[in-house]
Amino acid sequence: MEQSAFDPEEVLQQLKDEHRLMPWEPLPPDPMRRIADGGQARNRAALEYLHHHWALPDHVDPATVGGGVKGKVLGLFGRLTFRVLGPYLREERDLLSHLVRVNEGLERRCDELTLRCEQLNQDMVDRQAAEAENQTKLALWLSLEPTAAGRAGTNGRAGTGDAASAP
Amino acid sequence: MSRRPAIAVLSPHWESASEEGWTTRQVAGALSIGADVHVITPEGEAPSTSVDGVFTLHRLGTPPAPTAATRRRVLIEGIAATRTGPEPSVPPALAALLDDGTVAPWAGAAEVIGSLAPDRVVIAGHDDLGVLAAVDRYDASVPVTLVALGSDPGSVGFPHFRPLFERADSVLTVTETERALVVEHHGHPERVSRIGAPMAANPSALSEPNTWVGRTEYVLVLTGVAEDADLEQNELARLVRMRFPDRPVSVAHTDAFCAWHHGQVTRGWPIERTSDRDRLMAWARVTVDLDPGPLFARRCVTSLLYGTPIVVPAASRAREHAARGRGGLWFGDAAELVWGIEALLDPTTRAAASRQGLAYAEEEYGSTDRFIERVTRASGLTPAEPSAAVVA
Repeated sequence: MEQSAFDPEEVLQQLKDEHRLMPWEPLPPDPMRRIADGGQARNRAALEYLHHHWALPDHVDPATVGGGVKGKVLGLFGRLTFRVLGPYLREERDLLSHLVRVNEGLERRCDELTLRCEQLNQDMVDRQAAEAENQTKLALWLSLEPTAAGRAGTNGRAGTGDAASAP
Repeated sequence: MSRRPAIAVLSPHWESASEEGWTTRQVAGALSIGADVHVITPEGEAPSTSVDGVFTLHRLGTPPAPTAATRRRVLIEGIAATRTGPEPSVPPALAALLDDGTVAPWAGAAEVIGSLAPDRVVIAGHDDLGVLAAVDRYDASVPVTLVALGSDPGSVGFPHFRPLFERADSVLTVTETERALVVEHHGHPERVSRIGAPMAANPSALSEPNTWVGRTEYVLVLTGVAEDADLEQNELARLVRMRFPDRPVSVAHTDAFCAWHHGQVTRGWPIERTSDRDRLMAWARVTVDLDPGPLFARRCVTSLLYGTPIVVPAASRAREHAARGRGGLWFGDAAELVWGIEALLDPTTRAAASRQGLAYAEEEYGSTDRFIERVTRASGLTPAEPSAAVVA
């Protein structure tokens, strides 16, 4: 079997030619996508509604039953009903108030996680920028002057970040 | 029964730590096959004669001042840098300064040479006119072999040392680069012989990988400098391990051994034994020697003998092994270093470079018999073949 030969002069020339055709340049960092509503997941209107309506009626309002015999009968029947259902309604109120508190806690936690995600995203972008800056220095040291496009951060893609000038 | 010829080897130092010292010992050893070899050196605290293996060692007890060699090197660089013509000219005042401290240590050598009555004198090193003066005081017609030891290319062509090249009837060089340099500056290609060096791969190094790295797919980087030194070698080593994070990269400093992988480092003791370094080389994918030896880059030859391709600085003697032996690549800048390693990590490319480098190293450096033959033939101990006179 014929074995391939290795000619160092030829290989070196080939390497130089290849790298002349494909100049290396650092990748720019990816853009950070921010959440549209300013990064807060909390919906204040829905939360306000919960806070104002979690306490359901636990007695008959005489103003709603009206006057007269019919009103007295309705009031009597209503008081009787609320008295019979009282323990259940109190339990239900406790449950609802607990649910509202849980909901409040969940929303607070969601906000914290959102902020944490944003911080992580920012950290990653900062790291990318630092890496790109470091690689730009390396490129210069390797005598591979980054192209104008590279300095503008395009690298053949839509320019979104500036690798070379990133902090 | 015919008398064995006597040969006097004059060397400013008698040691084997440096490539120059090691080469001198190997040449003397090769000559001892067919002659009685007497080594004369100005080293020692007092004149003495002792037996050192197959050699008789004559110490003159007049060592040169440690600053003499440094002063000479600085002067050579300075004069070469300010030259106006094709060749640097040495003013008489500077010529005296160049020889200052190098002639006196050899003052007693003529007497020792006279007592030995050698058939040939071998001078190790081309930049010491004091040795030549001592030889000529004994006998201006005694045959002289010069082992050029041209680690410093600037000094090989320096006109001040031309008398040594003109006096020698044979000049030995280790590499082809050095041989070409000598011929370029001093002519007489028929007198100049490339002798290579007697080296061998230790088979036991191939029996088991070195556990310092743990795997065998690593890149071995020899920096030749301390880990915290602010030098280019460390910058390049850092670049290599950053460029190949997924591949183990072993970086050997003079004071530490660092195995890098995935950005993590395992730090250990520096390589102290040659056998450890050999085992690391034997199992590496590529050896990157950032500080190859100045005379003939001995470590790189060792790497090739184990079939491991090399990546070396372009401005080094090791380039010859990569170019002539076609067993590796050389780099002029950091980008070429990275590209070279990338290219040689390709299995097909590596296999071809490994095969060619191994064949070259075995042919040029891998045979003690061939080395002895080259040295003895160039020195006139055995008859020369017409076709092999110039390039051994």
